Amino acid sequence: MAEPASLQPTRDPRVTLPDLVEVLLNKGVYLNLDLIITVADIPLIGVNLRATLAGMETMLEYGMMRQWDEKTRASVRRSIARQVPLLPDEDVVARMPGGVYADDFHHSWRPGTVYLTDRRLFVFRREPAELLWQAPWEHIRTAGLHSERAVGGEQRQRLRVELVDGTYHLLSTADPERLLNLVRRHLRGVGGPPGAGAIAASAAPLRESHAWYQERRAGSAVWRGGTARLDRRTGLTWRSPLDGRPAVNLTPRDITGVELRPARTPAGDSVVMAVATRDDTVLLAPDDATEWAALIRETVPEGAPRHELTEVQVGAHR
Amino acid sequence: MTAPDLYVYAILPAGLAADALGTGIDGAPLRLVDVPEGVAAVVHETTSGPYQGPDEDAKRWILEHSAVVERAWDITGTALPMTFNVLVRAGDEGTATETLRGWLRDSAVQLRGRLDALRDRVELRVDITLDRDRAAQDEPEVRALAAELDGKPAGVRRLLTKRLEKLQRDAVDAVADRVYPEYRRRLVGLAEDISEGRRGGRAEGQVPVLSAALLVHRDRVQELGAELARIQDEQPAAQIRFLGPWPPYSFSELRAPGASTA
Repeated sequence: MAEPASLQPTRDPRVTLPDLVEVLLNKGVYLNLDLIITVADIPLIGVNLRATLAGMETMLEYGMMRQWDEKTRASVRRSIARQVPLLPDEDVVARMPGGVYADDFHHSWRPGTVYLTDRRLFVFRREPAELLWQAPWEHIRTAGLHSERAVGGEQRQRLRVELVDGTYHLLSTADPERLLNLVRRHLRGVGGPPGAGAIAASAAPLRESHAWYQERRAGSAVWRGGTARLDRRTGLTWRSPLDGRPAVNLTPRDITGVELRPARTPAGDSVVMAVATRDDTVLLAPDDATEWAALIRETVPEGAPRHELTEVQVGAHR
Repeated sequence: MTAPDLYVYAILPAGLAADALGTGIDGAPLRLVDVPEGVAAVVHETTSGPYQGPDEDAKRWILEHSAVVERAWDITGTALPMTFNVLVRAGDEGTATETLRGWLRDSAVQLRGRLDALRDRVELRVDITLDRDRAAQDEPEVRALAAELDGKPAGVRRLLTKRLEKLQRDAVDAVADRVYPEYRRRLVGLAEDISEGRRGGRAEGQVPVLSAALLVHRDRVQELGAELARIQDEQPAAQIRFLGPWPPYSFSELRAPGASTA
């Protein structure tokens, strides 16, 4: 069959205007906010109206800190550190009044300030000073909103934070949705579009967890963070919250084999799964690749070519 | 008189003559603020604050802004575009130019690194959608229901049409889920970076598959176009928008040193 003619990109403004407007309002260098905004509101560059109109506190609430330059961050860090014990070089991204539900012998809401930093999410009470609750980002599996009846009888939204150990914790704040967005942005990088896609929510999966996926790009291979999911019926998927749809979507029939291999991922030296299909090999690195691989083998139908389901011995320590 | 602010269009490698850039928004004369460290900013002076006004004006300003960025980028081969409405304000410590110079000096290493990394790279936008009616027409369930519609009373037809649309949507969504991983893999194999879209599915009757900005070496634009042509060929229900080449608007963000690309 003849090769179709190559598509030519267009720069015609009549076609591209909506995209240009979007990109110039939302993308490009945010140096503006970088240059800017010293705490004493002096040289104000980057007149993103939202930023100019908002006071320092509001900007913190909106989580704008990470867009600021080092000097500004250092000064904010100093001013916050006077009130809150921060780790060395820890940056507060956002803070807002709130509280945490103490599920120990207290069984009550403990008021304080919710801090979102580049390292962790925590609730701190200033007087008397006490760290009421904290979780480093890598311990947080997921977060969502949870509606419950408050003491006064009205419905209140809480932030429900689920940790990798399976426990969950409830945080309160005046604007739970904003907190959720900030938390999600941290769990995922930068907030992605809510998902299209039919795969999203089917019945309970066999397994679902954070996993790294290796994407091969021009000149490099990039490990990307996302969620892997294994389901007897729909198969194996992996999706980054930044993507429109799952970048891995293999039905049990597509899978011809699973191998374990040592590899270096952003999590360090790990064992990763090489999932083979007829024409490709997908590299995925969940925390417990061995168990995942065993489960994937179980889901592959009986008729599948078993002999291809090999496992490479991986040294126990390396 | 108030000291003027500087409206900033882009950061460039130093050495360009400002008169090569023409004029800026509303015909404003452009100049370059540069530092010995080898970077420069394209600016115009203003005393009227950020641009505000009706959408029509904003669109024109944005086009004029992007035209300056593109001219500069065409000449120098690399540029870090600023978002619209970025002003450097004169502060207590000096004029806007001094403030900007100070920042350029302080950030020169990072800026030059990013400018070098983006040299000869272009941003291309790819939007792939599936035409709902066309992509669903071969689905057995959709066919059966469509056939059933004929000769039914109007009220029943209305109900069935609703059901048919949902069937079509689900069927095409499943198709989109199936083709997405492959399309992404094929496109990203030609790109050095990708940023997936904030939009998609605008047009009625179109199901979004992939909407992304791709960072591609100039020399590979043709290859990307060829890959898209093959996709179009394999999937007649696909509608493909292919925009660019643009300056790397979606990839100019400065990463903190050591930040991972993940």
